[in-house]
Amino acid sequence: MTALSSSQRTPSMARPGLVAIFVAFLRLGCTSFGGGTAGWLHRDIVLRRRWIDDSAFLQMLTVGQALPGSNGIKLTVLIGQHLHGTAGATVALFALLVGPFAIVLAVAGIYAGLAGNRTVHDMLDGVAAAVVGLTFATGLRSIAQGAPGLLGPAIAAATVLCVGIFSWPLIPVVLCLGPLSIGLAWLQARRR
Amino acid sequence: MRGSGDTLVALGLVFVPLSLLSFGGGNAVIADIAQQAINVHGWTSEREFADLFALSRAAPGPGSMLAALIGLKAAGIAGAVVATLAFYVPSAALVLAVSRLWGRWRGSPWHTAVERGMAPVAAGLFLSSGIAVLRASPGGPAVWIAAIVTTVALLRWPKMHPVPLLLGAAVLFGILRAF
Repeated sequence: MTALSSSQRTPSMARPGLVAIFVAFLRLGCTSFGGGTAGWLHRDIVLRRRWIDDSAFLQMLTVGQALPGSNGIKLTVLIGQHLHGTAGATVALFALLVGPFAIVLAVAGIYAGLAGNRTVHDMLDGVAAAVVGLTFATGLRSIAQGAPGLLGPAIAAATVLCVGIFSWPLIPVVLCLGPLSIGLAWLQARRR
Repeated sequence: MRGSGDTLVALGLVFVPLSLLSFGGGNAVIADIAQQAINVHGWTSEREFADLFALSRAAPGPGSMLAALIGLKAAGIAGAVVATLAFYVPSAALVLAVSRLWGRWRGSPWHTAVERGMAPVAAGLFLSSGIAVLRASPGGPAVWIAAIVTTVALLRWPKMHPVPLLLGAAVLFGILRAF
């Protein structure tokens, strides 16, 4: 097989090996700055490498919606599994995490050397404020885009009150409000 | 080494349940990570937590490496490894297990109900996470104001790229506080 003959094929879905999967996800982990790993994954795995197609990608995104965990992690595991079974999923997840893990430890080492420096603290306060802004905007947008009616905003407000204001432990709060909210959504859907 | 072994177990016990409850992503459970790290286990002070939160954003990749930094602070490199695995592997294993059964469930009414029902809880957890970070931050009212300004700006211009925003805020705070 020469390179020429393989490039003449129609760009069908390739079957990458574990090494290729490792390299691709290592690169993704190290370059997907600013969050939104799902977007970076789509650009690289679907558009550039063509390892899976758009509809498979969307299905994977939907599977993850009702489950906990970050979208980037869930997509990585599902794409890895699709490409190479459980081994593929394990390799993809490890490759995605190992780069950011090493980088953040290095940054923490630098920080430890500068911990007394006031300007460093001030700059980190600025970063924290902007990240909180990102978090607030995401939360508010998701409430605005939810199902119509007051149920969603009411549940969100109750969650903020319990966890954000009263600082109650998150686990019992989610275990109460989650099933309650799911039950109400179920009833609402049945009434229609 | 006995003490550090206990700390590793404690890290696992904190992060495994939070992994399985992080509906909407890792950011949703930051309020509880703050509570556990600062008040329950004393792994970090409020100042350190606020700094680690900001530092975790310096790393690329999916969501937050905050777990790694808390683990590092609590029990060194071993702590960082344990906390990271405890925070990411359970939700990853769950999605793998569920995806195998997915064909049978596609479009079922209860799946829609779970999706619909958990969305506002996740949104509430996101907002709570922001509040928890602001409370832990010793930066004073300036941090609250900057957070609100950023929120409004991002709602107005949703396509704004976050990286310049973070760098801008860092430089702005570094310069303004110098005077």
